[in-house]
Amino acid sequence: MKKFLTTTAALALVSVMAHAAYAADAKATPGKSIDMVLLPKFLGIAVFDQAHTGAAEAQKELKNPKEVKFLGPTPENSVAGQIEIVTNATTQNVGAIMISNNAGDQIAPAAKAAHDKGIKIVTWDSPIPTAEGEDVFVAQVDFNKTGQVMADMALNILPDGGEFAILSASPDAANQNAWIKAFEQVLKDPKYAKLKQVDLVYGNDQSEQSYNQALALVDKHPNLKLIMAPTTVGIAAAAKAMQDEKLCDKVKVSGLGLPAEMVSYTMNGCAPQFALWSFVDLGYLTYYTAYMLAAGDLKAEEGAKFTAGRMGDYEITKDPTREKGLRVLMGPFTVYDKSNVEAAAK
Amino acid sequence: MTAVQSRLMSWEGLLLALLVVIVAINIGYSPYYLGVENIVNLFQLSIEKIIVALVMTLIIISGEIDLSVASIMGLAACVMAWLFQLGLPMPLCLLAAILIGAFCGAFNGFWVAYVGLPSLAVTLAGLIGFRGVARIFLEDRAIGGYPAWFNSLGQQPIFGPLTFSIIVFILLFAVIGIALHGSALGRYIYVMGNGIEAARYSGVNVKRVKLMLFTASGVVAAIAGLLYAARLGSVRGDTAFGFELDIITIVLLGGVSIFGGSGSLLGVGLSIFLILNLRNGMGLANITGNTQTSVIGALLILSVLVPNIVQSTLKRLKGRET
Amino acid sequence: MSWLQRHIRPEQVRELSLLLIIILAVIVFGAMIDGYYTSRTFNRIATSVAIVTVIGAGMTLVVLTRNIDLSVGSIVGCTAYFTGVQLAANPNLGALSAIAIAMGLGLLMGAVNGVIVAWGRVPSIIVTLGTLAIYRGILIDYSGAKTVTTDSLPPWLVDLPQMPLMTIGGLEIRAIVVLALIVVIVFQLLLSFFNFGRGFYAIGSNPDAAELVGLPKQRIIFTAFALSGALSGLAGFMFLARFGNITVEAGRGLELQVVAAVVVGGVNIFGGSGTLIGAMLGAVMIGTLEQSLFRLQINEFWRDAILGLLILLAVASDAVLLNRLRALWARADMRPVARPTSAVGSEGEVAP
Repeated sequence: MKKFLTTTAALALVSVMAHAAYAADAKATPGKSIDMVLLPKFLGIAVFDQAHTGAAEAQKELKNPKEVKFLGPTPENSVAGQIEIVTNATTQNVGAIMISNNAGDQIAPAAKAAHDKGIKIVTWDSPIPTAEGEDVFVAQVDFNKTGQVMADMALNILPDGGEFAILSASPDAANQNAWIKAFEQVLKDPKYAKLKQVDLVYGNDQSEQSYNQALALVDKHPNLKLIMAPTTVGIAAAAKAMQDEKLCDKVKVSGLGLPAEMVSYTMNGCAPQFALWSFVDLGYLTYYTAYMLAAGDLKAEEGAKFTAGRMGDYEITKDPTREKGLRVLMGPFTVYDKSNVEAAAK
Repeated sequence: MTAVQSRLMSWEGLLLALLVVIVAINIGYSPYYLGVENIVNLFQLSIEKIIVALVMTLIIISGEIDLSVASIMGLAACVMAWLFQLGLPMPLCLLAAILIGAFCGAFNGFWVAYVGLPSLAVTLAGLIGFRGVARIFLEDRAIGGYPAWFNSLGQQPIFGPLTFSIIVFILLFAVIGIALHGSALGRYIYVMGNGIEAARYSGVNVKRVKLMLFTASGVVAAIAGLLYAARLGSVRGDTAFGFELDIITIVLLGGVSIFGGSGSLLGVGLSIFLILNLRNGMGLANITGNTQTSVIGALLILSVLVPNIVQSTLKRLKGRET
Repeated sequence: MSWLQRHIRPEQVRELSLLLIIILAVIVFGAMIDGYYTSRTFNRIATSVAIVTVIGAGMTLVVLTRNIDLSVGSIVGCTAYFTGVQLAANPNLGALSAIAIAMGLGLLMGAVNGVIVAWGRVPSIIVTLGTLAIYRGILIDYSGAKTVTTDSLPPWLVDLPQMPLMTIGGLEIRAIVVLALIVVIVFQLLLSFFNFGRGFYAIGSNPDAAELVGLPKQRIIFTAFALSGALSGLAGFMFLARFGNITVEAGRGLELQVVAAVVVGGVNIFGGSGTLIGAMLGAVMIGTLEQSLFRLQINEFWRDAILGLLILLAVASDAVLLNRLRALWARADMRPVARPTSAVGSEGEVAP
């Protein structure tokens, strides 16, 4: 495990050095008045509020007199609601819309209409797959790297290999689908040959369904040793299910989770390792990117470099995980285990 | 004027009054509200739901309910997408999707009309099952890239500022208005809603009319699902998920009794205007998410509660006078 | 047979036909799934239907009076969240006070529904469609997007769901299951053997007549909603214990599951007939189908389609079985002089 952590640290270091190597040209001009909308997948979920906190911090720093508008749909109306909010923001001619896209390509026509009107469209957390109508995607981590991290955590937890299953959000969750694909790709490496994926199920990001699905996995696969859940709802529900059925010695849980929700399961060994990135930072970087685009400080084109306040220098590059589209890569992952989860949970 | 008529009149009057208030607030509040673009968007953003609400009105007046409409919308869109990906010509895909919708509707209708199962149970099974079938077709894929003419059906204005979907809505409104208020079929529907026994005595072929209504509901839902696909340009398994609740809310606010037998298309039309304008106004005022749904929920309750309170207070006052 | 027919009406054995269908389903699944007949399968199904059963009991009371309560999912979410926050702040709060908080808040929310329906004369579907949205909205505002986390809860609560109360020949009966059973039995007894309880049926089958004979219609409807709220509150407590991490999404969509259980359980959605036992069997039936489909080695994407079909088949075969029974009874009635009681019995069940 130690070795794994050092690798992550090294990777982080490399990426920091890579940033430092470029000379950052674009700097933000503070004090411009720009109407900006931050659109989460839906309201009431901790990670999106953290992103809002980060965006608000950036807004103060940039002295934009207009407060960031944090507008989101309800969970049961997420797709139609996101489209509605983008359309209404277009009518009001805001300066920039920052979207954590939950609608896949279905949001493209609305985003395109906004973009055609000159509104900057910055996606964060989850991009528009075809990149249509999108200026740039602020990626929390490299989506291929997510697969790598998941594979490494699986191998750390099961050094002798064994059967594992994936518990995902919904079949329509573009992020999860991309991560799972990357994960399966990484597993082809002979290094991971001892790990055997036996199932892929969906809990639709509801505690109850995820909980039942986790138990069903155990029933269906008597030799199951690990449940990998790349969703914060799924991982917590699966960990609780294993704990309730006293299965933690036999079946471990891992994936992407929030420290505050996972701390007890990590300390008692049900979920020895999991990963996530900082949503506060993601909101902050997204706001910087969108502000600079809307203020004309930055152009959404390959190779453009800019400085994003306290987070340092970034570059807009081609998004290697999509056919088209540009990307700003935040990174890196934080991997949580007994040594650091308690501090992060506070 | 009978008591029922005057109650209906006052219901629609109330909706109209509320509508005027909301429009006035919207005009006063947002400079963007009266723009042509916004007015078209106001309809466009919910056009599929309000199309299905029209046929849902018939179903509920007849004393039944169809909870499976949103799943049929999704299934029709998924079937279309799946066939399109197989390389079939687009018109054929559309036809097949509409036929699937008709089949689903007739399937519901068969169990309700000829086996006598409660429509709530049948269409609840349909809500789960049809969505499940949609999943079988598309699994975890999202399919887009349709011909431009198809996407433009949902996105481009074709007649003045009106899109194809809006024209479909207007035509369907006229057709259903005539059917419900100006034809024998409409009278049958009201009679059925007032009691199956009464309908049998008056010589209505209850089973056939029910089968027909559910089939119509399936066809309209399928068309709405396709229009939704055209507007968004991409289809996935959760297309139109959960729309049934919004659709039923619109119909109920229109003054249609959930027990059947009463309500008018005019009321539903006003309710559509009301809810759409309210949503749009709140959207322009940057009120979204749960606050928006809460306001609509409160409106739903208050619009029935307040007149009831006023009525009973008036009655009590009159009682004191005499 | 004739003795049976004289003493039992088809409506009283209608639960039997549901039970038969459940047994049939279990036999079929048992043949298809290895190691199906284990205590583990029993535990899975029993614990997973416990919450729906408790809400279903309240929903049945409401539906009997010719009303419906669509706000239960939001009440479960609110009570689970609020109770979780209270427990996190005061870890010394006992189990009983936690349940009291959850049920009290639920009762309050149900009472609001009840007042508006009973005295405001607003159709229940409108009221509860409204409060479905409003209660959820209050929860989202109140929560400030914070999650109630498992580690903030006292250990006794987190361990409650798997706590066995007794063991019968290898079968662990868990406390949460017993709790659900007690709720159903207590309320069923109240309904069947007390005048006030019988009033629920009277109001649902003929509201005008019930009022004419002096039944306190408004009070009964209010009570139904208040109880439905309180039981949803209890379910909220169970939800909190079971899932630990409570977000503002907790319980979303439960109303549909509960309505499905109640309708499959043979409770007439237009009021007047049905039992809590039936609603519980409805929940067990759907739970059995769902849990067993999880275990089958079928493609993940086929499950819902099959579930929908099976629910439809269950409802249809239940109706057919019941019609058969009714025909049997009717034939028996032909021989002696037709008795008015049986005529009333079969009248009340006409499918809407």
